[in-house]
Order: sequence, then C-alpha cells, then structure tokens
Amino acid sequence: MRRTTSKTLAISVSAAALLAATLTACGSGGSTDEGVTLTYWRLAETNEATGAAFEQIVADFEADHPDIQIQVEERSTDGHKEALRTALGTSGAPDIYWSWAGPGIGGEFVNNGGSLDLTEYYEEYDWESRFNDVSMASITQYGGYHGIPSGFSGAGIYYNKDLFAQAGIAEPPTTYEELVAAADKLSAAGIDAIEFGGTVNWHLMRLLDNILETQCGSEVFDALVRNEASWGSETCVDDSFAEFATWTQEYLIPDWASLDDAQANQLLFSGQAAMVIEGSWFPQVIQNNDADPDAFGVFPFPTGTNRLYGDTSNNYVSPTTEHPDEAAMFLDHLTSTESQTALTEASGARSVNVDVVSDGASRSSLDAAWDEIFDESEGLYAFNDQNLPLAQTTEYWRILNAVASGDIAPDEAGSQFQAFIDQQS
Amino acid sequence: MSSPTSATAVMVPRRRRRARRLRAALPFLGPALVAYVVFVLYPMVESIRLSFFEWSGFVGAEQTFVGMRNYVRLFTQDTVFWTALGNSVIWVALSLAVPMLLSLAFAVALDRKLPGRALFRTVFYVPGVLATIAVANIWRWIYNPRYGVSESLAQTLGLEWLQGIQWLGDADIALYAIFGAFVWQAVGTNMVLFLAGLQSVPPELKEAAALDGAGAWQRFRNVTLPSLRPTMVVVVVLTFIGSIKVFDLIVGMTGGGPAQQTQVLALWSYQLSFANNQYGMGNAVATVLLILVIAVVVPYMLWTARREQS
Repeated sequence: MRRTTSKTLAISVSAAALLAATLTACGSGGSTDEGVTLTYWRLAETNEATGAAFEQIVADFEADHPDIQIQVEERSTDGHKEALRTALGTSGAPDIYWSWAGPGIGGEFVNNGGSLDLTEYYEEYDWESRFNDVSMASITQYGGYHGIPSGFSGAGIYYNKDLFAQAGIAEPPTTYEELVAAADKLSAAGIDAIEFGGTVNWHLMRLLDNILETQCGSEVFDALVRNEASWGSETCVDDSFAEFATWTQEYLIPDWASLDDAQANQLLFSGQAAMVIEGSWFPQVIQNNDADPDAFGVFPFPTGTNRLYGDTSNNYVSPTTEHPDEAAMFLDHLTSTESQTALTEASGARSVNVDVVSDGASRSSLDAAWDEIFDESEGLYAFNDQNLPLAQTTEYWRILNAVASGDIAPDEAGSQFQAFIDQQS
Repeated sequence: MSSPTSATAVMVPRRRRRARRLRAALPFLGPALVAYVVFVLYPMVESIRLSFFEWSGFVGAEQTFVGMRNYVRLFTQDTVFWTALGNSVIWVALSLAVPMLLSLAFAVALDRKLPGRALFRTVFYVPGVLATIAVANIWRWIYNPRYGVSESLAQTLGLEWLQGIQWLGDADIALYAIFGAFVWQAVGTNMVLFLAGLQSVPPELKEAAALDGAGAWQRFRNVTLPSLRPTMVVVVVLTFIGSIKVFDLIVGMTGGGPAQQTQVLALWSYQLSFANNQYGMGNAVATVLLILVIAVVVPYMLWTARREQS
C-alpha cells in the first residue's frame, strides 16, 4: 500500500513538474548557451522585392553577430494591432515591434508603458542626426525617445486614368468642388466613382477624415481630434457628415459594406471603380495585383489646407526585453544608410534616413508623383484611428458606418460622438 | 438492529476508510484540481474582480477601483451593449429552435435503413469538424455580392429578388445570414448526438406500440421522444452554452459590423478589452454573460434532474 502511494505521489509530482515546465516555457525571446534570440513583430510584407531585401538585411546582421538570432513574426494590419494590444506589457511581448506612431495606437503603447525609452541608445549611436524631422517628431512626441523611425507615408486619391478619360475628366481635381464635379461626371457615365471596403472600418474612415479636414480646416480638425473642440457644436462637423453621407449614397460602390479593402481595391484594378484613397505604399500593391501602375494617377485630396494626409511609423523596443543592447544593435543596423538604401531601392518608398538617396531605378511614375506631393505639402494630419484614443476610434467607426448606411442622420452624428467622448471622460 | 454504540463503532472505520480513500485519490486528483483552479476558477474570479476596476490591460498600468461604475455605464451609456445583448438572445433562441429541429429530423431520417445512409451521415457531419474560422471564410465567399455562389445562383435561376442582396452588408439581414452559416456547421454535430440517443430507444417498445396500432407520429411522440430526453438535455445545454458565447463565426464574417449591428456579448467583451483596452468594461460584459449562462443552465439542469427522478 505504501509503495502504491509513493508511486502515485511520484506520478502526481511528475505531472505537476510537467505543468510547471510547460508554463515556464510560455514566453518570447530569451537566451540560451548558443546566444540570444530577439523576437521582432512587424506587418506582413506585401512586396516581394522589399521582403527579400529585408530578409537579406536580417541575414547580414546575423552573419555579423553569430550570437544573435532575429525571429521575425509578420501579421496582417488588424492581426498585428490585436497581437500587440494583447501581448505588450506581458512576458509574451516581443523584444522589438513595429507600430504606427500616432497617439491612438503608438501613443497608447508608450503611455501604457509598452515602450522602452531609448535615450541612452540615441546618444550612443548618434541616431538623432540620422533621421528626418517629421520622423524624429514622432519619436519625441510623448517625451523621451520612444522607438526608432521606420517609415512615413502619405495618402492621396488614386484614380484610374482610363475611367477619368471616359467620364471626360481631363485633369485631376485641385479643389473640393472639382472633386465633387468629377464624381458627378463619373456617376453620370455609369461608373462607380469611388471604392472602399467597409468590413475593415479604417478604409472608409479615410474619406470622412479628409472631408473633415476640408470642411473644418486644419486648426479645427486638430482641435477636434485632440478633444479641444466639440464635435457637437462645430457646424463644420455637421457639414462634413452631410457631405460624407452624399459621397456614400451617390458615389461609393453599392456593396462597400460587404467587402474588405483588398476586395474593394480589386474593383479599382479591374476598372470597375474610378478612385480610392490609399497610401504612398500603394504602387507596390498595384504591381502585386498584376495591374499596370502607369494606368493610375495619384493626387492629394483637395482639402485646401495643403497638409499631407498620412502617418509615421516606428520600431519600438519592449520594456520587458531582456536584451535591450542587442535590440538597439539590430535597430542600428536596420536603419543604417546601407540597409535603408537596399530597402528604398526595393520598394521605391522614401526612407526615414536622410542620407539615403534613391537612384530612381525602381521608382514608378506614381512614386515620382508622391515626391512632388511630399515636397509641396506643409504639415501632416494623421489618420483618425491614430489620432483618437482606441475607444473613441471604435465609436467613430460605428457612427461613420451608420451614417454611410443611413441609420444615423448626418446632423446627429457629431453630437452622438461628442456624447460618447463626454461619457468617457 | 444495532445499538447506537455499535453504529458509532461502524461510523468511525467508515470515516477512516473515506479519509484513506481520499488520501489515495488526492495525488490523482491533484494535478487536475490545480489545473482547474489555475485555468478555470482563477480566471473566472479574476474576471469578476476586474469588472469593478478601470484598467487598460497593461501589466504596469494601475487598476483603479470604480465599484459598479462599469455596470452603470454598460446598462445606461454603452451604445453597443443592448444591441449585443439583443443579438445574443436572438441567436440563442434561433439556435435552440432551428438547428436542433433540423438535426433531430436528420437523425430520425438517417436512423432508418436507407441506401447511402453512411454517406449522408458523413456529409452532414463534415461541416461540424471544420474550424469555425474556415466556415466563416467559406460563407463570406458564398455571400460575396459580386462573385459569390449566392449571387451566381440567383442570376442563373433568374431570381431577381435574390440578386444584389448585401447578405453581410445590410444591417437588417446580416445576423441571420451569419446564422445560416452556423446552422450549416451545427446541424451535423447535434445529429450525431441524437443518433447516439436513438440507439438507446428499446426497439421492443416501438414494436409493441406498432402492434397496439400506434402510427409513426404517435410512436415518435410517445416512445422515441421520451427516450431521447437525456440526449435532449445534453443537446439543449450544449447548444445554449455554445450559442450564447458565439464569437469566431461573427469575427470571421462581419467583425460585429456593419456599424456594430451584428455585435454579440462575447465579441463585445473581447473588443472592449483587447481593441479598446477597457478591461473593466470588457470584464463587466463577460460577467453579465456568465450570470446569464448560470441563470439559465443551472435551473434547467435542476428541473430536468427532478423530472428524471419523479
């Protein structure tokens, strides 16, 4: 009997030990006798050439530092956001992660202790002189030095040149009135003027963001997104929602609410819709979908404020990392002139590193158009899902979708949103 | 008849025997008990505790006690909660009616000796073994308003009233469109449970009823159905619990949209916590969900147990 009890005790102790070992094994990164493994979470790469260039950069780093391995995990836009929100601040957080820098996403991470202040590494590697002013502003906006610049993008209206010609539109619109007139002409020609995928809320959001900037001007727009002005009492908000409702009911593809961004963009590529608001990364997407980039043009949304609609993104180091020095070494390598030149040549996109000059070999006519837009713009207004706190973003999406589908009257939308903001505070 | 003294004498060894058995069983129960406490009980209690706090979900962030404020906000100010609750109630009600009746009908039909019976059983059961997110993808494509099977069928058959329907984009029908996918997935699993239950119906009872002149419907109502009661309890409880916490199918097909009109309690709890970083509010929704489940399942099981005993 005693022997049996001892045996069962041994079994249970083994089971408990196994359980404990399993729990201990749950975690990311770490070091072994063979070296250090850094986990790095980023958005899934949509461009094959850029992906190959990135892999080479990682391989070069690992070759130079045989004791450090970089374990890269890539996710889709929404998957990446959710993974970060779930993991940051826990032992499951990656050592390094890429994120949009605006207050609504990157700001939430920084303010909640999800980012390591890199001041000492900025001094050690003299990073401050490496990056452009817009990117550095995104690093220092929350105090200290949070993250290291990764990219900055603009967003504008891409249009199908053939469909514009069919509708008799000779030149891209330069004022909001001209844009509406162009949408009218397209509709009259039986062409869906603009496409967005509604199942991902941030796609259609871009239309409302730009109409708000147009109707309210930059000062009021900034005051609204900082909650320094009331969405319920600014008349330009009502005007914006009214304009937005007109766009969604008269010019937008009828099945917007059933499609995601990728499905809706297929309508642009296949000539079934004439316009969409997309970012400076979009030329790669066009190529990836076997469409001819020269068949499309791009112009900034004619808000009249001359600001660029876009965002900045950074790579952040998690405060839970056990290897901040190694993470800084990798980020130094990733943003070096050599690495950034390789990435720029592969992608055609502008680099955050001021010493990188593209030779233009891989740049399409759309990339050249973006150069002009970047040069001529003054200031930046960010996507509102990056401006607003998370809960407000969710409500902003609900309201704009309800206005688009006719469930909320445009003149009630602003006051409903303000009521939500007031409840939150 | 034994005296009180002898009864006490019997009780003591019995107590000792029980204690000895417990000591012997404890090492076997221990790991499972630890796992249950760590992975089930603790998260449940922690979830209820967090519903009285305001917390962003970050480990270093402060948890502020707010009493009942999360519940007050949920019931009086949250713009989505009542929609989510209403949708959850509709979903549960439909789940207890449609897939259960269909699966019972299929089970009864396929309990007979039919040619190709095994094939039909397999065909109906296969959707039940697919990952729900895969089911969501399949049905998203079926419902695609431009390239989907639903649109192609409507056009091929010349059914104009079925053409151009925004199955997942129209707030009035999106929930029911998702439910269609749920029925497709759920019917097979319940059918297998009912088929297992039907094997326990004594054939001699059916034969006796037939000899007494009972028709097919009377035999089903008075013999088969009462014999299926234990299976029915299992199916009802599993369906209720499974349907009130529906999550992945909605995530995969609409994400709660359009404009939160297909939102349900489990998904809203998740989104408040993980998308909005409002863990207090998210856990308040989870607690409401827990109370709803307990309030329905426990009395139902007690009632059935009493009926069984009587």
